[in-house]
Amino acid sequence: MVVRFSAILAAVFPFLMLGDPAYGSDTQKLADEIDRHIAGHWRETATAPADRADDAEFLRRVYLDLTGRIPSAEEARTFLADKRADKRARLVDTLLAGSRYVAHFTNVWRTWLLPEAGNNFQVKLQQGGFEAWLKEMLVRNAQYDEMARELIAFPIEGGSEVDLFIGNGSGSPLPYYAAKEFKPENLAAGTARVFLGINVECAQCHDHPFASWKREQFWSYAAFFSGVKSKRTMDFILPEKDEKDKRELKIPGTERVAQARFLDGSTPEWKQGANSRAALAEWMTGSNNPYFARAAVNRVWAYFFGAGLIDPIDEMVGGDHRPSHPELLDILAREFAAHHFDVKFLYRAITASQAYQLTSASASKSPEDRALFARMPLRGLTAEQLFDSVAMATGFRDSGGSDNILSGLLGNNRSARAEFLTRFANRPERTTETQTSILQALSLMNGKMMSAATSLERSETLAAVVDAPFLDNERRIETLYLASLSRKPEAKELSRALQFVRKRSSNEAYADLFWALLNSPEFIVNH
Amino acid sequence: MSRFSRRDWLRLSTMGAFGASMSGWLENLAAAAHPERKRSCILLWMNGGPSQLDTFDLKPGQANGGPYKEIATSVPGIKISEHLPQLSRHMNDMVLIRSMRTKEADHGRATYYLRTGYVPGGPVHYPTLGSLFSKEMEQPNAELPSFVSVAPYRFFSPAAYDPGFLGPQYAPLVVGENQQSLIPIPGRENNYEEGLKVQDIARPEGVSAERETARLELLRDMQDDFLQKRSAIPSLSQRSAYERAVRLMHSSAVKAFDLDEEPKKLRDAYGRNLFGQGCLLARRLVERGVPFVEVTLGNLGNLSLGWDTHVENFDNVKKLSQVLDPAWATLMHDLKQRGMLETTTIVWMGEFGRTPKINDNRGRDHWANSWTTVLAGGGVKGGQVVGKTSSDGMEVIERPVGVQDFLATLAVALGIDIKNQNRSNVGRPIRIADPSAKPITEALA
Repeated sequence: MVVRFSAILAAVFPFLMLGDPAYGSDTQKLADEIDRHIAGHWRETATAPADRADDAEFLRRVYLDLTGRIPSAEEARTFLADKRADKRARLVDTLLAGSRYVAHFTNVWRTWLLPEAGNNFQVKLQQGGFEAWLKEMLVRNAQYDEMARELIAFPIEGGSEVDLFIGNGSGSPLPYYAAKEFKPENLAAGTARVFLGINVECAQCHDHPFASWKREQFWSYAAFFSGVKSKRTMDFILPEKDEKDKRELKIPGTERVAQARFLDGSTPEWKQGANSRAALAEWMTGSNNPYFARAAVNRVWAYFFGAGLIDPIDEMVGGDHRPSHPELLDILAREFAAHHFDVKFLYRAITASQAYQLTSASASKSPEDRALFARMPLRGLTAEQLFDSVAMATGFRDSGGSDNILSGLLGNNRSARAEFLTRFANRPERTTETQTSILQALSLMNGKMMSAATSLERSETLAAVVDAPFLDNERRIETLYLASLSRKPEAKELSRALQFVRKRSSNEAYADLFWALLNSPEFIVNH
Repeated sequence: MSRFSRRDWLRLSTMGAFGASMSGWLENLAAAAHPERKRSCILLWMNGGPSQLDTFDLKPGQANGGPYKEIATSVPGIKISEHLPQLSRHMNDMVLIRSMRTKEADHGRATYYLRTGYVPGGPVHYPTLGSLFSKEMEQPNAELPSFVSVAPYRFFSPAAYDPGFLGPQYAPLVVGENQQSLIPIPGRENNYEEGLKVQDIARPEGVSAERETARLELLRDMQDDFLQKRSAIPSLSQRSAYERAVRLMHSSAVKAFDLDEEPKKLRDAYGRNLFGQGCLLARRLVERGVPFVEVTLGNLGNLSLGWDTHVENFDNVKKLSQVLDPAWATLMHDLKQRGMLETTTIVWMGEFGRTPKINDNRGRDHWANSWTTVLAGGGVKGGQVVGKTSSDGMEVIERPVGVQDFLATLAVALGIDIKNQNRSNVGRPIRIADPSAKPITEALA
């Protein structure tokens, strides 16, 4: 009850929830640890770090990272005017307590756990149910280990196609299993990758050529999932009731039968009828597991910094990849576990660090060593981040239509959001490598949504700016900058914009300025 | 025309029309080189999986054969379906590969497999073959994108249509998507004309050319400012995509999409439907140097799921053949007349074939064990059949061909070095064709 109540409080009065008092000092301690280790490497390599990001740069970055959209002009104005020394930490607390946090991290976790939604028709159809499950977890701020246990030990009942697609409203992690085609080997590879940071897929067919994983080891691990069963209908794969206590698997192409064994080589002490996947979930999230917390903190680190402390993030163990800051990785993992796998604790500590608060600007054009984290890299936006930011900047309201892909199949109107997301799909795993396509550029320049957003008649933001009698030209320009780039124009930009507006002597000039701001690289990247 | 090609004239006129104010956006055009023209590829993608037994590998008189008759072609001894009469006259330029054996028989998985060469599910995001091949064949600073996809139906496997680890700059320019819904919608039957134009290519309504120029100048200043201090992949790629998009908007090359320039008779010959006009568009694009165009023949807007003929296979394949035959045959003829067939390779394939056994609904189901694909035109030694299936059509009895073998054959026909490598999203370099691939040498010219 206590948890529920505080969640409600947080939603209604976010300003009351200024951090959990029990963690407050721990957050700063961990942030300081981060900076101590990061700065240590700068000294060793004689690297000059970038300057601290100014308030506006931090504001935009942290909004995009924690809520998936830019701040409104008003939010930006308020924050920039705030004189309190701890306003950055306060902002983070407010954002983590809001509903946008839940909506955004539902998307984030879905891309982490269900990357197949992009290329598998059945998974795409079931995506809604998975998102509903994630949302439930995020709303009640379920701890990370609890989420992992629920996913790995999820009891599977048989089902028909109707259950799968009609029952989309109630949340379930079942689509994760569908994405892995209910196959033990796929489930093994997928869970090892996402929860342990281990890439064992190659060992499925042969002993891993580079890493130390053996084929036998892989199939012993997959044996925990051996009770998962499915049947194939004409177009879908449907689950059948699982055999909870099954834990052996024949290695394909051999006569050998692998018995369930953890990746560290240990075996649980089985009781009669014990649930195999539940045992795996316990081992995976247990305090003795050397991989679980490390994989999580490394993934979260990569989310905020564009690269992991070990990179790539799913080849942490057994390969050639060494952590750039081994001690820091250990400390983060230890603290994360000690704080009951509370992801918000991690988010607070990272966003409070000076490393996260460095500017992305640089005078030099030469590439730097990414693993030094001496400057914030540019990161591309996800399709959702971009759409929601355009909508926020322009006051765009979707005119209806459906987000559902079935709707598109049947020729119905899809919402502007759904169309936009389709066009801006295919973002790379590495946000630092996001690219723009020609069609995306055309759609941002000339598309229906952007045209409405930059039309004097139809854009809420523009209308408000142009029609407000109390605003002079400078304030109008400033408001457009705040609405789109979350900052005030620099002197040079202001004079350029003023000149632009005066030369044209028509309100259209504001529409054109707004158009250029929304199409600028500054708008479509997270810097 | 020896010193200035048509393309150069287009470039010059583009620059002249917009003068100095646009020069910042269009300056790269001046540097465009003229590398040796490579071949082009037109992929005719048969969405849903076409029946080999009712198109190019008939078994008349057998229990699995169905009602269609065989007809002779321009090559003695090679026979095809009676519903492909125009195409039968082009057999000299075609190779039928009747021995495809590919394992995957689920739409999503097979679509990904045939279009990337790999089964889905692993960590590597393989590019669709249009992205992969057009990257090898692209001309720097071309006005048109290197890969155009006409009327794709991406629902089975969206990832099978995207550039994967190559990134969005190798994404196709898509036209004509969502033009055909599964159910007929009044008033939307004939919308393919509009659908074959590039979306969002025109500036927004109510925005004059002067305003557009002003906008772009302002944008250019903003890009310069931002890139001065923050130049990395996301911001550099943004600028380059915008440059290419603006160039496309102002290029006369975009006239390629204006099918009204073609004689009415020719347009009729291709067939007045999405696929027929899509094939005509493909010719116009290839003519202007676009190296890879794909045209999808999917559903005909009549509740049938295209080639996915589980029900009433014979009625549906006949209808589809009547769209396929004139479009493809006219394409071959048209290319030949213009001397372009030698440099244009045409591929006909779907994600799999259909079961030889006819089901209780007079339909055929998914089948990957023995089916047919076709290569035609440039780089191909036409007038022959590769491989053979058993008399009941259930087995390949001669020269089985896998997906990698097939795609490698196509790459070689296009003059691509199949050992070339790209860096994948997991860091590992990946070849154009897997080292295990064996091109079908006898099919190559």
